[in-house]
Amino acid sequence: MLETINLSKSFKGKKVVQDVNLYLNNGESVGLLGPNGAGKSTTISMISTLIKPTSGEIKLNGVNTIDKPGEIRRISGVVPQELALYQELSAYENLKFFGAIYKMTGKELEKGIQQALEFVGLEARQKDLVKTYSGGMKRRLNIAAALLHQPKILILDEPTVGIDPQSRNHILETVRMLNQKDGTTILYTSHYMEEVEQLCDRLYIMDHGKIIAAGTKAELLSILSTEDTIKVELNKLDETFVEQVKTIEGVRKVEASHLQLKIIATKGSNLISKLVHLAEQHHLQLINFHTETPSLEDVFLQLTGRTLRN
Amino acid sequence: MNSVLWVQFCKDKRSPLFILLFIAGSILATLLFAGGVYSPTTVAIFSEEENASEIEKKWESLLNVDNSFKFEIVDPEKARENVKDGNMDVAVMLMETDYRLVATSELPSVSYVQQHVEKVFQREAQISAIAETRGEGDVRSEIESYLADAPFQLETQGLDSEQVPKYNMSTQLLFAFTFLISMFILGLKVNNVTNDKVSGIWDRMILSPMKKTSMYCGYVLYSFLITMFQIIVVLLLFKYVMNYEVGDNLWLVMMIAAFFTFSMISIAMLITGFVRTPEQFYAIYPSLIPLIPLISGAYMMPGTITNPVLLFVADLFPLAHAMEAIMSVIFYDAGLQDVMMSLLFMLLIGVVAMGVGINLIERRSK
Ligand SMILES: Nc1ncnc2c1ncn2[C@@H]1O[C@H](COP(=O)(O)OP(=O)(O)OP(=O)(O)O)[C@@H](O)[C@H]1O
Ligand SMILES: [Mg+2]
Repeated sequence: MLETINLSKSFKGKKVVQDVNLYLNNGESVGLLGPNGAGKSTTISMISTLIKPTSGEIKLNGVNTIDKPGEIRRISGVVPQELALYQELSAYENLKFFGAIYKMTGKELEKGIQQALEFVGLEARQKDLVKTYSGGMKRRLNIAAALLHQPKILILDEPTVGIDPQSRNHILETVRMLNQKDGTTILYTSHYMEEVEQLCDRLYIMDHGKIIAAGTKAELLSILSTEDTIKVELNKLDETFVEQVKTIEGVRKVEASHLQLKIIATKGSNLISKLVHLAEQHHLQLINFHTETPSLEDVFLQLTGRTLRN
Repeated sequence: MNSVLWVQFCKDKRSPLFILLFIAGSILATLLFAGGVYSPTTVAIFSEEENASEIEKKWESLLNVDNSFKFEIVDPEKARENVKDGNMDVAVMLMETDYRLVATSELPSVSYVQQHVEKVFQREAQISAIAETRGEGDVRSEIESYLADAPFQLETQGLDSEQVPKYNMSTQLLFAFTFLISMFILGLKVNNVTNDKVSGIWDRMILSPMKKTSMYCGYVLYSFLITMFQIIVVLLLFKYVMNYEVGDNLWLVMMIAAFFTFSMISIAMLITGFVRTPEQFYAIYPSLIPLIPLISGAYMMPGTITNPVLLFVADLFPLAHAMEAIMSVIFYDAGLQDVMMSLLFMLLIGVVAMGVGINLIERRSK
């Protein structure tokens, strides 16, 4: 129902989003994954019509949303990355305002507010001022504010940033309910791999403004199907050893942290005996090693040479 | 638009102290600097010449001509001490034909005293100059009786044929301080646009069916209403409780105040167009605002500022026009027709500043 075609955005000549092509089918739950500064928020702002693309198109059921933003605004709800709430007011007052700007009044507004509060589990605290809320509760209210007009598409921009695991699970559960029970189409941005893995049917991986991989979890993992991930722990680690590991035949990528090495290598390259041999030459002891089934983190590492979260 | 008004009102209802403190501040400032109408400021006078008491006596009677000030003979030591300790703003040291002001600061009250004293001394100088050239008789009483019944008399009359009331500095200061506080209040309210932009609430409104004009109208109207509330409360208080002279045409005065408020909101909007964050606004606005009354001469007798550059700059802000219009309504019984130019000026400033301001804000968010 929604697609972007070569969507690009530059700020002062700096390309922040480049040729992004993505689509959302009705009822789908799609993740947009990428490290800080990848361009996720910028992409989402263009889709929600808050900023105009430098080039490219966005189509909702075939109609260009850049010229006619009315329809997409009507059927979509946006949960911004920042807490767009009046801290000095109560949750109830906030929702009353955000409902009123959607021209909701009277009973309909009241019902909408209570429904949204119930959905995020805040009905008991609705009269309290937002500034007295915990970080997780504020995040939940931030979501509730986008649900009042019952959007068909819900766009969430890192809705779980900086909160405790319990609130995070609550939010993930809420989004899953919206998707599975109400059939709301979800576009979920995050830099937490686990969240997107849990929640989304399909995902896009974004880095430096470009989509670098797309597909279902299985499809993305198949990128690594020809590879093994091996974790090795040593008693010591030295630079030359790491450099030499990189030159072993079949090794694609090496990451060192503390005394651990994470190595991605072609399947069946008989790495272990070579590693043992090399460690002996350097008078190092292998304390521990195991082969891992690849995760989406590994896919990201493979694609970009970096881990997601730093 | 109604929802914006409502939500802004909710915020202020939660913390009304802020507005109330501002209102109290403007009342206090007026009382402090303008004084009550029925207790003219006392100004110490003294002389350190040889014939001190003679000089003191002579000038005491000459200076105490109207009841805007009460000049009192005081021991020189004590007068100096009082000024130094801040118990008095100003004292006057008298000489045979000249004087010196003793003051530690440049409060509006000091320049007002100076203007009065200067006038008296100049008149005396003229009289004694005439006496010298004529060299005979009682020139003073002659001049005085001549002036009292001159062949050409300039008679100033109000529309209702009553004697025009004398210019009252307290009233001018009342409006100067009230408007100063108004400028702060309306600025902080206009700054909510930037606040809500930074927090993302603005974006929520953009995505909603609300029209952008309604959004801007909501913020502007709220600033307008809350500022008018402050002005009206203060005016009524001073008119009916403190018995200040604010004229009989209160409606016209309030109308001028309304034009002023709109015009100044537009200027605040213009400044908003130049800043990115509410903090930047807080840094710029409060340092700019106190300058406006200074440039506009709101603390001084009309006509004190003569520098053409300052006069031009003052004309760019609505305060000078509002003060001029209001003073002419109160003291010279000017009607709507007479203040029309001032109103139009304020409207023009308002429309231009608002247009440019909103344009800048919109461009910023692209
Ligand atoms: N208005 C703007 N002007 C200039 N540069 C911008 C603007 N908005 C974003 N950028 C830049 O664009 C890049 C992408 O930003 P964006 O917010 O889209 O990233 P993100 O993937 O959402 O990151 P995060 O995980 O930190 O939210 C960043 O380098 C950012 O500095
Ligand atoms: Mg972001």
